[in-house]
Amino acid sequence: MHTINSVQAGQAAELTAPSFDLDEPGTIEFTAQRALAGRALNRFALSLRSPACRAEFLADEAAYLRRFGLSDEETRLVGERDWTGLLRAGGHLQAVLKLAATVGEDLWSIGAHNAGCDRDTLIAATPRRVSGVPAPAPAPPPDGA
Amino acid sequence: MAAVIGGIGISHTPSMGLEYDRGTANPDGFSPRWQPWYDGTRRVQELLERLAPDHLVVVYNDHLNHFDLDNYPTLAIGVGARFRQADEGWGPRELPDLEGDTRWGLHLTEELVGREFDLTVSQDLAIDHGVFSWLPYVFRQTGGRAGDRTGGGWPVTVTPIAVNMVRQPLPTANRLRSLGRAIRAGVATFPGDDRVLVIATGGMSHQISGARFGMANEDLDRYFLRNLPGHLDELVSIPVREYMRLGGTEAAELTLWFAMRAALSDRAAAVYTFQTFPAITGCGALVMAEPGALPGTGSGSEAGS
Repeated sequence: MHTINSVQAGQAAELTAPSFDLDEPGTIEFTAQRALAGRALNRFALSLRSPACRAEFLADEAAYLRRFGLSDEETRLVGERDWTGLLRAGGHLQAVLKLAATVGEDLWSIGAHNAGCDRDTLIAATPRRVSGVPAPAPAPPPDGA
Repeated sequence: MAAVIGGIGISHTPSMGLEYDRGTANPDGFSPRWQPWYDGTRRVQELLERLAPDHLVVVYNDHLNHFDLDNYPTLAIGVGARFRQADEGWGPRELPDLEGDTRWGLHLTEELVGREFDLTVSQDLAIDHGVFSWLPYVFRQTGGRAGDRTGGGWPVTVTPIAVNMVRQPLPTANRLRSLGRAIRAGVATFPGDDRVLVIATGGMSHQISGARFGMANEDLDRYFLRNLPGHLDELVSIPVREYMRLGGTEAAELTLWFAMRAALSDRAAAVYTFQTFPAITGCGALVMAEPGALPGTGSGSEAGS
């Protein structure tokens, strides 16, 4: 299958065009191995779906994390809000997003950290346009609709 | 007998719900990025009022807002009188719960398990933006006063079916096509004359982590919308990872749309398509109807993209 990659003008200079592959650092896939490795991290992060747990976490982060059996490294990643490190360590994006929500951040913070730029640069750069379709394309319908 | 009268494919994203709340509360209206989406989906609402479904089967994906990784179901069906809104970390929005219909929930569970779809049955399913981010402007709330987003309820009952888009391995594209066919067969054996609409929600092109964050492939989205009504089998034959490679990892959710298309007959036609790309998620809508389901319309289609 061949594709065309045409990035349109207006993309921030700091950001290169998204590539058509699923390799890191472009994509940090949540593989089955990462799901296993991130068991404690994801349990912790998903506990923050409850308002009471969010309040407890914010009141004493270290004590809250100890309950979930996080490793020293995982504790450090949470403390430093190392969004990219958390994903690499097996945190699922949707779980890590609960942590971001709890500490007053959002998806843009995670995305900017992943893309290696600041929030405003990323916001200004989106949508980061690319073009490509699977080939060969199916024939158009006979009635031309 | 009950019948599937049509289907909708529609994107979902937290921001399309939050921007809707913000825009309706703001005297200046919606943000320029999002205005086209709310304009484009107004026609979907009009068509839904004319299709007048009695029940919705909604094939969607949960975003670790109800399920968690200790037990992650590939396919789950909600069976209950109500489905509350999940707290995604910021607290729930001011919206009424979804209303279920346990007759439909139990019937579809029997029918789908009978057709070898071994669903997890969720009796207290909390629903996230997968449904609530588009529901408020696609279905008009009933009971409350106009402009009161907290009053009343929704005009139609729902059976939600959650599909794993979180943990690998994901179900195959073919499995989702088969799910759609099984839904169609299951609807047809329901006693009574209910009109059922099958909705699939997910996609379109987007990736929300990694250095490819925010990639936007509108040509892929348009290609998909153009081909889904008449070329389901060709789209199913494309590897899911090819959609992910070209459209971002979350473009895998496009496979949910296969269940919607396969729940309709070959004679069903697209009556409306719309597509735009406000920020980080490709936003598309496709309305399909079975012959005769839309009073006063022929087979003509309209495109709003």
